[in-house]
Amino acid sequence: MSRILVVEDEQHLAEGLRFNLEAEGYQVQVVDTGEAALEALRPELAPFDVVILDVMLPGIDGFSVMTEMRHGGQFVPTLMLTARGHPDDVLKGFAAGADDYLTKPFELAILIARISGLLRRREWLRASMDPVIQPAAGPPAGGDETFAFGDKTMYFDRLELHVRGQIFPLTLMEANVLRYLIRHEGKPVSRKAMLEEVWGLHEDTDTRAIDNFIVRLRRYIEDDATHPRHLLTVRGVGYRFVAGAAAEEA
Amino acid sequence: MVAGRQKSIAFFIALGAGLICVVILLYVGWVLLNWRQKILLVLGALLMAAIVSGVVLNTIFLVREIRRNAQHDAFINAVTHELKTPIASIRLYLETLQTRAVDDAKRLEFYRIMLDDSERLLGTIEQVLRTGRIGATSRRLNITRIDLGGVIEQCVERVRTIHKVGPEALQYRPGPQVTIVGDADEIQAAVSNLIDNAVKFSGSEVRVTVEAASVDGKYVALRVTDHGPGIEKTELKRIFKRFYRVPGALAMRVKGTGLGLYIVRSVAKRHGGRAWAESEGPGHGATFVLQLPMVK
Repeated sequence: MSRILVVEDEQHLAEGLRFNLEAEGYQVQVVDTGEAALEALRPELAPFDVVILDVMLPGIDGFSVMTEMRHGGQFVPTLMLTARGHPDDVLKGFAAGADDYLTKPFELAILIARISGLLRRREWLRASMDPVIQPAAGPPAGGDETFAFGDKTMYFDRLELHVRGQIFPLTLMEANVLRYLIRHEGKPVSRKAMLEEVWGLHEDTDTRAIDNFIVRLRRYIEDDATHPRHLLTVRGVGYRFVAGAAAEEA
Repeated sequence: MVAGRQKSIAFFIALGAGLICVVILLYVGWVLLNWRQKILLVLGALLMAAIVSGVVLNTIFLVREIRRNAQHDAFINAVTHELKTPIASIRLYLETLQTRAVDDAKRLEFYRIMLDDSERLLGTIEQVLRTGRIGATSRRLNITRIDLGGVIEQCVERVRTIHKVGPEALQYRPGPQVTIVGDADEIQAAVSNLIDNAVKFSGSEVRVTVEAASVDGKYVALRVTDHGPGIEKTELKRIFKRFYRVPGALAMRVKGTGLGLYIVRSVAKRHGGRAWAESEGPGHGATFVLQLPMVK
C-alpha cells in the first residue's frame, strides 16, 4: 500500500484529502506544520511514496520545506498544493524541487490522477533502475551487483553492506553514492560531479549534503572513520575511493 | 525576496540622508567663511531650507509609497488565501459527495464543514466590502439610537457559536444600560471584529472577557481582554493600519486579511470615539478598547 504524507494546516482540507485518499486505497498521514513534515520524513522512519505539500504553513513555509527536503537527500515525489497560482510562485516551487504543482481550488479527479502519475513514475523508475545502471556501472570486480573490497562486500541489489558477518542496511542514495565512487575507483571525483551524476542536480546547490553522505558511508566501510583508508578526501577536489586499502591518507 | 528589496531601499535612503548632511556641512562652512555678505546669506539660507525640505519630503513620500505597496501585496496574498481555501474545501467535499458512497454520519459532517467554510467565505467578503464602504467618504452614516449592551450580547453569542466556545471561556460582564447614536451595522461590525479577534488569537486555551463601562459619564468603553500571545509595544499602533498584519509565525497561524482592526478604528473615528490596544508585551495577553460617546 502506498503511503502519502499530507502537509496541510487547513483542517477541513486536510480531512477531506485524507478521506478521499484513503478511499483510493492509500495510507495517509496528516501533519499541519513544515517542522512536523520534516520530522516525519526523516530517513530512519518508514518512508512515504508521495508528499502533498501546502505553501502557506505556520512556521517555515512550504518552499523552505521543499528546499530542505531536497538538500537533505529526501527525494520522495512531492506535489505542491497551494492557493498561490502566480507564475512566480509556481516557478519557485519547481525551483525548490517540487515534482508537480497544483493550485487551489483543484478538481478532485485531477489531484488523484496526478498522485497516481507520481506513483507510477516512481514504480517505473524503480523497475528500470537495476537493469539500466548495472551495465553502465560495470563494477570493477565481483561481477553483477556485488562488490568486494577488503573484508567488506556491498550487495547493491539488496542495499546491504556486509562487514565481517555484520550487515548494514544502506539507503538507496547511500548505495548510489558508493556505486558511483566504486565506478571511479582510484580516481578523484568532485562533489559537483557527484551531485550531477548521482542526484541529477545541475545547479550550484550546497554541496554539504554530499559530505553528510560521505560521513555516513565512512561509518560503515571504515574501521576507523577518523583515519579513512578506503574513502579518502582529496583536498580542494572531492573524494577518492580506494579498494585496496593499502594507501594511507596523504 | 522582500528582505533583499528592503535592504537595497535602506541603502539608498541612507545614501540620500548622508548626501543631505554633506550639503548642509558644506553650506555651514560657506556661511562661516562669508558671513559678511548679508543679503546673499539670507537668500541662500531660504533657498537651502527649501531644497533640503523638498528632498526630505520627497524621501518620506517615497518610503511611504513603497511600504504601502508591500502591504498591498501582502493583502492580496492574504485575501487570495482567505477566498480560495474555503472554496477549495467546499469544492472538495462536494466532489467527494458526488463521486463516492458516503455514509450518513460522514455526510452530515461534510455538510457542517461546508457550511462553516461558506460562513468563513462570507466573513472575508463582508470584511473587504466594508473596508471599501468605509474608505468612500461620501457615504453617509445611517444614524439611529442603539442599545450598545444588546449589540455586544448579540456579537458575543455569535462568536460563541462560530468558534464553539462556552460562556466560561468567553465571558460577558454587562455594564449599565447605555445608549449611543450611530450606524448599527458598523457598530456591530466593529464590536464583532474585536471579540472575534480575541478568540481567534487566543489559540487553544480561550479566556476572554468582554465588559462595558462608562468613562466620565461622557463615553462608554468596551474592553475586550484576552490571555493570548500579547503584542509588542512597537506594534500596538501599527496593528490598526489597513492591511497591516504582525509579521512572524503568529500571522501565519491565525489567518486573516489585515482589515479587522482598521475597520474598528475607522468606525470609532466616524462615530467621534477612538480605539486602541493595551498589552504588557508578548506572553501577557492584550486588551482592546473601543470608546464611543454615549447619549445621556
